[in-house]
Amino acid sequence: MDHRLFFVVGDLLANLLVGVIAGLLSWLIVDTGWNMVIAMFVMMAVGMIAGLVVFMVVTFKLGAMEVMVPVMFSGMLSGMFVGMAMAMMPLSLGDAAMYGGASGLLGIAICWIANTLLRGKTRQA
Amino acid sequence: MPDAVTQAKWDKIAPKFDAMAGAGAEERWHPFKTELFSNMGDGNILFLALGTGLDIPVFPKGKTITAIDISPKMVEQAQERIAAYDGTITAQAMDVHEMPFEPGTFDQIFTSCTFCSVPQPVKGLEALRRVLKPGGQIFMFEHTGSSFYPFKPMMNVMTLLTERFGPAMNRKTVNNVRAAGFKIDEVSNVFLDVVKTIKATNPG
Repeated sequence: MDHRLFFVVGDLLANLLVGVIAGLLSWLIVDTGWNMVIAMFVMMAVGMIAGLVVFMVVTFKLGAMEVMVPVMFSGMLSGMFVGMAMAMMPLSLGDAAMYGGASGLLGIAICWIANTLLRGKTRQA
Repeated sequence: MPDAVTQAKWDKIAPKFDAMAGAGAEERWHPFKTELFSNMGDGNILFLALGTGLDIPVFPKGKTITAIDISPKMVEQAQERIAAYDGTITAQAMDVHEMPFEPGTFDQIFTSCTFCSVPQPVKGLEALRRVLKPGGQIFMFEHTGSSFYPFKPMMNVMTLLTERFGPAMNRKTVNNVRAAGFKIDEVSNVFLDVVKTIKATNPG
């Protein structure tokens, strides 16, 4: 991960925002009684699109791939979790936003861990 | 004749390219590009895909660089940064597939976010190998597709959108470098396995 404060805070806020948006979209779209698997796939796609929209807004200040990949992943993750939850039980608007935001933060945390594992020299002469 | 479709695409973007590329990306990549470009030696250097010259401030001082870009509008936009460089940059609008340079003209070649946009990447890299001296090195800062789920399908989906107005997000650039006949010296991931630096040698 990028340890510069501006980027750390920016990444956290961008992914939190995507998560909340994906959670709220799940609350709007999915109803209790939906097939859970269908709800999961539909909201993963919707969350990814939400991530793309947020990326287009924040890319100018926060960067390119380092923003695009995490926010799309976080949107997908939040859509998946909250979409599935909505299919199983009714959630309040606040709960959907809170679970979505938490999933967004989980998404950026997973990306940071993956980045720590993958970055650096992979092949030498 | 240069690839008219690609040229028109980048000519169209040129006036707003700096805003699109964004200060954020350049700031993120600054330390890694500085390290990569610090490999610039005193011989003939080719820099491929100059764009609007966003990378010029990261070049070490006092180098003699030939820079090319397929888009004349991009080269036009880069003039101010070229003039500000403390060294010599000769910029020309040129298609990588049709470079008129003699074989083995250059000691080193540098690219920066280039092979996400060259329509025929292996042919483009073969053209670079032709103008690079045997034993000469190519240094690349590139974004590529990922090998890992779920990033891989995400990059594939993104490419469907981004290729219409700019770069592809799912190129296998390391494989392409190898397919063009280079010997890979080092691959270093900058972010996940998506943004990376590649160093390779022309075995001759």
